[in-house]
Amino acid sequence: MSANALLQIRNLKKYYPILGGIFKRKVASVKAVDGVSLSIFRGECFGLVGESGCGKTTLGKTILRILKPDEGNIFFDVPQDIIDEIISLEEKGSKSTKLKRLREQYDLSTFSGERLLRFRRRMQIVYQDPTTSLNPRMLVKDIVAEPLIVQGIARGEKAREMVIEILKKVGLSEEHLYRFPHEFSGGQRQRIAIARALVCRPDFVVLDEPTSSVDVSVRAQLLNLFKDLQKDFNLTYLFISHDLSIVECISDRVAIMYLGKIVEFAPTQKIFKNPLHPYSQALISSVPIPDPTKRRKRAPLMGEVPSPVNPPKGCRFHPRCPLAMDICKKEEPQIMEYEKDHYVACFALNGGMSHDK
Amino acid sequence: MAEETLIEIKDLVVRFYTYAGVVEALDGINLKIKPGEILGLVGETGCGKSVTSLSILRLVPPPGKIESGKIILNKRDGENLNIVDLDNELIRKIRGKEISMIFQEPKAYLNPVYTVEDQIKESLLLHRKEEFLMRALDSLKKSGKETSFEAKIYERMLKKPDSILTRFLAKLIPKKVLDEEIRKEVINLLKSVGIADPERVAKMYPFELSGGMAQRALIAMALSSNPLMLIADEPTTNLDVTIQAQILELIRQLRENYKSSILYITHDLGVVAEICDRVAVMYAGNIVEVADVYKLFKSPLHPYTKGLLGSIPRPGQEFISIPGTVPSLINPPKGCRFHPRCQFSMDICREIKPNLVEIEKDHFVACHLYQGELKNER
Amino acid sequence: MYVKSKWDEIKISWSFRVKEWKFILKRISESPLAVTGIAIIFGFLIIACLAPILAPPQGPDPFIVPQDIEIATLTPNPTPPSTRHIFGTTDQQYDIYYACIWGTISAFRVGLSVIIIALLIGLVIGTLSAYYGGIIDEILMRITDIIIAFPGLLLAMVMAITFPTVLPLDITLLTLIITAIFSLTLIISKSRRKLLLAILAVFVGDLFLYIYNPIIIPLNLSKLDKVLISLALVSWPGYARLIRSEVLRVKSEDFVEAAKVAGCSTLRIIVKHIWPNTIYSLIIVSTLDIGSIVLTAAALSFLGIGAEPNFADWGQIISRSRNWISRPDLLVANYHTFLIPGIFITLFVLGWNLLGDALRDVLDPMIRRR
Repeated sequence: MSANALLQIRNLKKYYPILGGIFKRKVASVKAVDGVSLSIFRGECFGLVGESGCGKTTLGKTILRILKPDEGNIFFDVPQDIIDEIISLEEKGSKSTKLKRLREQYDLSTFSGERLLRFRRRMQIVYQDPTTSLNPRMLVKDIVAEPLIVQGIARGEKAREMVIEILKKVGLSEEHLYRFPHEFSGGQRQRIAIARALVCRPDFVVLDEPTSSVDVSVRAQLLNLFKDLQKDFNLTYLFISHDLSIVECISDRVAIMYLGKIVEFAPTQKIFKNPLHPYSQALISSVPIPDPTKRRKRAPLMGEVPSPVNPPKGCRFHPRCPLAMDICKKEEPQIMEYEKDHYVACFALNGGMSHDK
Repeated sequence: MAEETLIEIKDLVVRFYTYAGVVEALDGINLKIKPGEILGLVGETGCGKSVTSLSILRLVPPPGKIESGKIILNKRDGENLNIVDLDNELIRKIRGKEISMIFQEPKAYLNPVYTVEDQIKESLLLHRKEEFLMRALDSLKKSGKETSFEAKIYERMLKKPDSILTRFLAKLIPKKVLDEEIRKEVINLLKSVGIADPERVAKMYPFELSGGMAQRALIAMALSSNPLMLIADEPTTNLDVTIQAQILELIRQLRENYKSSILYITHDLGVVAEICDRVAVMYAGNIVEVADVYKLFKSPLHPYTKGLLGSIPRPGQEFISIPGTVPSLINPPKGCRFHPRCQFSMDICREIKPNLVEIEKDHFVACHLYQGELKNER
Repeated sequence: MYVKSKWDEIKISWSFRVKEWKFILKRISESPLAVTGIAIIFGFLIIACLAPILAPPQGPDPFIVPQDIEIATLTPNPTPPSTRHIFGTTDQQYDIYYACIWGTISAFRVGLSVIIIALLIGLVIGTLSAYYGGIIDEILMRITDIIIAFPGLLLAMVMAITFPTVLPLDITLLTLIITAIFSLTLIISKSRRKLLLAILAVFVGDLFLYIYNPIIIPLNLSKLDKVLISLALVSWPGYARLIRSEVLRVKSEDFVEAAKVAGCSTLRIIVKHIWPNTIYSLIIVSTLDIGSIVLTAAALSFLGIGAEPNFADWGQIISRSRNWISRPDLLVANYHTFLIPGIFITLFVLGWNLLGDALRDVLDPMIRRR
């Protein structure tokens, strides 16, 4: 874990309770995010891919504290030595007040009230569907100015100026201030959403499938805009998508999720050229290539994605994995570094040796 | 010698009369679908691909209306029908039997209160009733019960299917043998679409199915009547990419077995390259290019096709997009509808709409660049 | 420069709604039944506005129907329409024409007040229930269910009868309850410490007042006011449910979540994001219940629970005819005592119902089309 990390999450868990029975007691939980640890460096674009139900959107929202995590730590812009101290105290299982105090001060997962409000300014989100992510009854100028007003940064004239400035940066103009979202096209609406996210000059932006609901020809415009904005504002992105071809082109590093756990993460080039985890291999090879001369002759991955309520024991992928061994059914593989910067969680790569030493 | 065509769409014009104005959804399109081929229909949202597919089945919802043009279906027995003018009775015989359709959101197209088995059964009874009656009679013959009451009713259903007495008698007795024959066929169909546990899945309700399984069930239903053509309207867009790969593989296999043509509608060029034989590119209600899939990807002619292929993300390169946006079809641009966004647009493009013309063998383009004097310069 | 004055800004932000309304009006004008409905309501509005001219009040309170003393000394029987009394008189010689004209104002007053009060109560309860969910939702919805379980008319009757004529409004107690609820919500949402302290201070001060010297204001309620309040108390649960379902729908939209991510407080989210997207269609639809509210109020008046005996109210006038239509010949002779006010009520309710149906038809496809 480098000292350059802007965001560091450790063993993050988010479960959704399933209520049943007359008294609506918790009968089971959907283990949407089940122990995810990541570092995201300042200024990078970190891609997060996976299929439906893998928990990537939940992870993004939990990091932003839209959802409260059930377990784990979120360190946002915290010095490395403090992180190390907290981790060592937790691993020792200490219940000291010192740990509690440190967590209250530095661990985003424990924040609430005023503390959390102040943090909101530094991390924002752009949603998938710009039609539902903008209030249809608010003028563009109010939509974009709202974060400024709520965070107490600016009001009135000053807010207006900042709104106009950010609108210009995303490719809209002053005359768009006094219009409603439904008067714009999908691509323009997404730009309004981006303007709203960036008006407070956050450090970290979660992009939750920002180009999925937009026409193919507009996608490229938006992706170029993301790149430019990242340079201009020194942003750090978490780019969540199920579209591997886009992620390959825009991310610096990529993590692949399956059923609430990260199975592999590495720099983009490395992971696409040489995916190590069987799921990553199946996923990358499933993407149809837009070139008829390169039709893949591979057997597609069999079976369906199991339900996150009752994930398979041991390695979650073992029922569908062509390389499954005995140990995969009993133990969960840990993430380990197999090449430089290339992390995988798979027993097949270390000869089936157990991780418990 | 004219090549065989299964469906020929000639100058089809479809308009939608909405409160906001008249939407010129289809602007006189021409398209030929050959028997046994997979024809891809590519375009962005709003270009008219879904409207085309619905028009073939005369299912364009109001306020839409087929204004003019022909859709000619050449059936197996040599009969030619113009779907646009057909009687309601006759078009119902075609829907589901000669031409079937599968859709983007499979669970939305399955009735939530009936099991999978019931729904496939309904389709089978509708289109292949005589076949199953014969099978039932055969099986009764084999077990020596040809003279039973049940057998007599089946015979009557074959001979006089419409009489009131027949229908009354049919409702009277439990048609065990017929039901058994149909059930066997349903299980076979589910197996043929790759469902691992057909007996269990047959008894499931749509909400219990995953997206991939529901789509397979729909494909089973669509192919149960051995149609001449299957229209697939973005069937894998909402599915995960690994499931999409499974379904594409399935469609490839089924094409081998059933020999139906498939009109595959999508906006994903990767899928097109994977599975289609020929491709038609649509833009704003017009067909702008039709070609063999290899030719289209190797040497696209129409500027829009070039733009689409150029906008495919490539690692290490800038994202290239087509400038501008898709025009509103209520007041579409005059002349060629792509001219406002086209870098090659000339004066003539603003005035006259280019026709779809065969430039090379089996390669059709609707663009002034390749017509008129310029054509000779190529 | 696109600097717009505050007035221009308001104009633009309302332009959206104005466009919506223009669209609605255009659609309505295409339906002859709807146009009839609007015409009827408009007619009644004109009558209500011109009431002082059409039927000049004869006394300090314009809502007391004048008696014709001259004829009253001659006979107590109702007199048929004549040049002296255009619509005739009831027994005791109350002028039906006057009652019908001023009854129009009563009708509008009852209808609008009930709807507004019921909407306000329903809005608060429905929003709280939907937004917070959980146990608050359960409790509030069970209360709603209990009220809905009663037959509305019966419950309104019971309430109207048992309401004290003089309502001792205990201001101190009311302030106590309001400040308590306020402070509880602030404690739960853990925000605005200073405001919380201020409200707690008010609470404590008010507590002392309540114990030692409560401030009680006696409210004089007329009989019609009692009917009004009871109808409102019976109608709000329906609106609470409607508002709850709308708020639930909007609550899960992305833009509400985006507002939370920006740091909006709960109050701001409810007022600026949720309410503008839920209440407009609701207001339109609920306005059309005015017809049935007025009908119910007339029914209560007929039963003697509503307005005072000589109050200008349609139901009240009809109730005076009760004793004079027991036999067929009496019925025919005194037709004017019930038929004419009856026509007023029928037309009024008909107008609102026609408009209601038309608006519902227009709103539905419009919402779907968008």
